[in-house]
Amino acid sequence: MTLTGKTALVTGGRGGIGRAICARFAREGARVYAADLSEGGSLDAPGGDAEFLRLDVSSEDEVRAAMARVGTEASKLDILVNAAGIEIEKTIEHTTLDEWNRSFAVNVTGTFLASKYALPLMRKAAKDGTTASLINFGSYDGFIADPGLAAYCATKGAVHALTRAMACDHGPEGIRVNAICPGYIDTPMLQSFFAGDGSGGGGKDIGALQQAVRDVHPMRSYGTPEDIANLVNWLASDEARYASGQLWVLDGGLSAQVQQMRL
Amino acid sequence: MSVAIVTGAGRGIGLAITQRLMADGYTVLGCGRSARGAAFPEGAHWVQASVASASGAADILRGAHQLGEVALLVNNAGVQVEKSAADSLDADWDAVIGVNCRGVFNMCRAVLPEMERTGGVIVNIGSISASAADPSMALYNASKGFVHALTRSIAVDHGPHVRCNAIAPGWIMTEMADDAFALARDPAAATADALARHPVGRMGTPEDVANMVAWLASDQAGYVSGAIFTVDGGMTAASPLNPGLF
Repeated sequence: MTLTGKTALVTGGRGGIGRAICARFAREGARVYAADLSEGGSLDAPGGDAEFLRLDVSSEDEVRAAMARVGTEASKLDILVNAAGIEIEKTIEHTTLDEWNRSFAVNVTGTFLASKYALPLMRKAAKDGTTASLINFGSYDGFIADPGLAAYCATKGAVHALTRAMACDHGPEGIRVNAICPGYIDTPMLQSFFAGDGSGGGGKDIGALQQAVRDVHPMRSYGTPEDIANLVNWLASDEARYASGQLWVLDGGLSAQVQQMRL
Repeated sequence: MSVAIVTGAGRGIGLAITQRLMADGYTVLGCGRSARGAAFPEGAHWVQASVASASGAADILRGAHQLGEVALLVNNAGVQVEKSAADSLDADWDAVIGVNCRGVFNMCRAVLPEMERTGGVIVNIGSISASAADPSMALYNASKGFVHALTRSIAVDHGPHVRCNAIAPGWIMTEMADDAFALARDPAAATADALARHPVGRMGTPEDVANMVAWLASDQAGYVSGAIFTVDGGMTAASPLNPGLF
């Protein structure tokens, strides 16, 4: 139990990765709010242990109300995880302005709004030498590009820079800010990428495709939401009290190698 | 007349650098472990010596001084052994680290006192595999990491009179790469696969690297020092996982 007595809010908390984070936080003794657009989230499955909080992270009014509720019920926020995100599988030529704006509204503006309104509550948690932990979701796509994901790649690059900026600004207040940069993680978003008609599977045999993708990884598998939750949990815990301003790539070694040409 | 030293100048990238620097008006001194080859251009000078030993570096420098002041050093000589760390032998370490690390160090150390007085430029050939690994190239990858870090150290310690930069080439079509494709199970498919991973739609040529050497050596690059410039046709900007290729 590494999070006893702590309060956490996870945006995208009913999605693939968010759900695993909420479950882990609950097991570690935290009081957890799972904030998402719907109770079932992108998994369209029944809720977990966490208290559900309906939230569209791109709405300033809704974010303000959500944090007010946390303030009333828990009086502080030790951990904020900005895991809400969407992915448009297109090149920029095929991306409409609305899709571009929506990507930034959720992935970047959502991170901005949730952080902005969480900070007063996080300052209350960060005292007497205890730190509060704010964890954003970047992506390995913020470093190197997957084809046909232009807007997504751009939003994640923005999150990386925002993470470092927030770490500089709020470190003196005892608030640590880090980003997790996942590679290929088994989530509804990944399955959609495989099944989609963009640059992913494009109608090919999904089983064969998935095996090929696993084989390109040095660990010969792609990750699970629980793999991500393991690192999120560590960053959220007091064990990570000196960890701030970093972009934590978790990708099974994928980006440690150069292109694997098939000779 | 400005003298340029090019190590490993006998073939491939080193030969292309030699030809380009001659065209740009340098007096070029090439060197290599072999005797001067038939392909090495007339008008360029040759010293047979190994950069892996300090005495070899001294021989090369002596040859250069017979031509004039050394304005440019291009550390291009490099060897690779295709083995994992577990499979690498002491002899592999000596070969790879000897040329790729000690050789670059020997040559830099030899020219720096003069360059600090008269000014000069050093261009080292690093690799994209210094920052992301090629499989079964453990010592080679590590040696190129050394080259990148030494490049920064020299830039920091020996400015303002010396500028030092490195180029990180990607896949450059040399005899070495030709062999790899020829040995592929399906050479045509392997070539198509490799091309698909390059946003510019082709593999690199030795001239592509020579172009960057020439620019880094020129006054156009007067404010560039301590940098590692990637010349790889965009390959490392893309994820190694390109599902469209499966």
